[in-house]
Amino acid sequence: MALIECRGLTREYKKGDNIIRPLDGLDLDVERGEFVALMGPSGSGKTTLLNLVAGIDSPTRGELTVDGVALGSLSRNKLAAWRAQHVGYVFQLYNLVPVLTAYENVELPLLLHALSRRERHGRVMTALQRVGIADRHDHYPRQLSGGQEQRVAIARAVVTDPTILVGDEPTGDLDASAAEAVMALLGELHDDLGKTIIMVTHDPKTAACAERTLHLEKGRLVREAGAMEGAAV
Amino acid sequence: MSVGRFVPYVLKQVTRHRGRSALTVAGVAIAMFLFTAVQAMNRGVTVATQERAGETTLVVYRADRYCPATSELPQDYQSRIERIEGVVSAIPVKVVVSNCRTSLDVVTFRGVPKEAFLAERGGAMELVAGSAEDWKRRTDAALVGETLATRRGLRPGMTFDAAGITAYVAGVIRSDNPQDQNVAYTALEFVQLAGRDRLGIVTQFNVTVEDPSMLESVAAEIDGTFKTAQEPTATFTEKSFIGRIADDIIELVGFARWLGIGCLAAVLALVANAIVLSVQSRIGEHAVLQTLGYSSRLVALLIVGEGLVLSLAGGVLGALAAYVVARLGSFALAVEGVSIPIEASLGVIATGLVVCGTIGVLGGLVPAWQASRREIAACFRAA
Repeated sequence: MALIECRGLTREYKKGDNIIRPLDGLDLDVERGEFVALMGPSGSGKTTLLNLVAGIDSPTRGELTVDGVALGSLSRNKLAAWRAQHVGYVFQLYNLVPVLTAYENVELPLLLHALSRRERHGRVMTALQRVGIADRHDHYPRQLSGGQEQRVAIARAVVTDPTILVGDEPTGDLDASAAEAVMALLGELHDDLGKTIIMVTHDPKTAACAERTLHLEKGRLVREAGAMEGAAV
Repeated sequence: MSVGRFVPYVLKQVTRHRGRSALTVAGVAIAMFLFTAVQAMNRGVTVATQERAGETTLVVYRADRYCPATSELPQDYQSRIERIEGVVSAIPVKVVVSNCRTSLDVVTFRGVPKEAFLAERGGAMELVAGSAEDWKRRTDAALVGETLATRRGLRPGMTFDAAGITAYVAGVIRSDNPQDQNVAYTALEFVQLAGRDRLGIVTQFNVTVEDPSMLESVAAEIDGTFKTAQEPTATFTEKSFIGRIADDIIELVGFARWLGIGCLAAVLALVANAIVLSVQSRIGEHAVLQTLGYSSRLVALLIVGEGLVLSLAGGVLGALAAYVVARLGSFALAVEGVSIPIEASLGVIATGLVVCGTIGVLGGLVPAWQASRREIAACFRAA
């Protein structure tokens, strides 16, 4: 059984009198431990799919099951608890809390878990070391470069050891070398820890790091490619 | 999951947005200073005018007179009053004030027969400095109430001038009765003679009756006794006498209550405004928290927590400032020899803080509710 199963997944928004349908009856399976890139033009439904998989949005129709849990059946509060346990989210613009240090940002998701202060400290430092930024643990986001901020954001995403890691253009705001470093880090997390990663990107080079690239257009899956193929698109 | 572990997050949000928090706290502090000051005046009115069970004191004043300068009664009324059934004692008092108008700094001299006064009232007062013997021995000696002594910086051994009288401070007294706290007790003859040559004339009699239930009947009996005399009397319980003399002040303080309510409304608007602005500028941040797994209820709680912290911080500052100013200033609103103390007690502060905390929570509720109801994905689009 696949880790993520989408069947006829549809998401609609109402905007005035119009109904916008960024996802339209999508079927998709993602296996445990896979690294998947989502590509497609703006408005093709990439981020909507990512948000549905991450449990921060709900489908209008269809079924979405992650690790055997039908997300559509969960209440708002249960969905929040599920996210805390199973999802790590990396944003394009990092979205660190500006008044918290790198350490405090990474600690944020752990506050929801039944851990002692010492246990939290151990986990935060391990995560910061893994992303190579432990020496900046007491820096505020404004004191870090874009690449460093994204490393902190990745540490925050993995510190709870989530089932899936989702990234919405995680290199979209970075220069080439910082983007390369971030992708190398995501690759390590996938290879070493076996994390299931789903990532939205516009950059074929970034998509090439994934094992599988899915192309979306108008809310439907139009093409699927392996890593090398995806990079060539 | 303990909510306590999120307290540091709330405190960091408040302390690390320094400018915004400082301005909000300052605004709340100013409003709470005013509110506490108004409450302190209200408290003073209550203490000075509210009848308490077990009180047995009547004040006999000249009928149709409202100030000590015009209330003149023959001292020999004393023996006739003391003959009335139920009367324990009648102490003649000559009142001289430094200022007949309402003021925060009036010196009131009360001339009393020393031995009788000590026998009747001595037990209700505590001598906190100086010597009672000194007071009995010297003609010009005064026992000064603690509030007056603090306000005027008076200590035993000093002399002071007021209302054309120069008195020697023999001791400082403390009493539960606010009227004692703001006066200088001297010998009756000393006040009668001090530049006025009014020997045999007193302002009022303070009459003690056997039982509280006899207050009304004794008062009626006294006024009946002197009804046809050249100087008729009007007799009241001590508290209603104060209420009658100080009714202008009491009315003003009553009006000031509306100012207090206005202060609370200002605090509510200020905190709510600060939280609304804060929430609006942090839509993305709250969406991130929810993405991390924070429930909408928890996010709402954190927002309300910020309102509570801001409000309490301002409340503590404002209330403490009011307390310190009232304590150090030892203010009392005085008119015609009657004092309404400004009582900034710890109870008043506690009330202010409870009100402040409640307002902080109320101020944060609506923005918290709004923030918690937003769709996460929509927040990211809006941020």
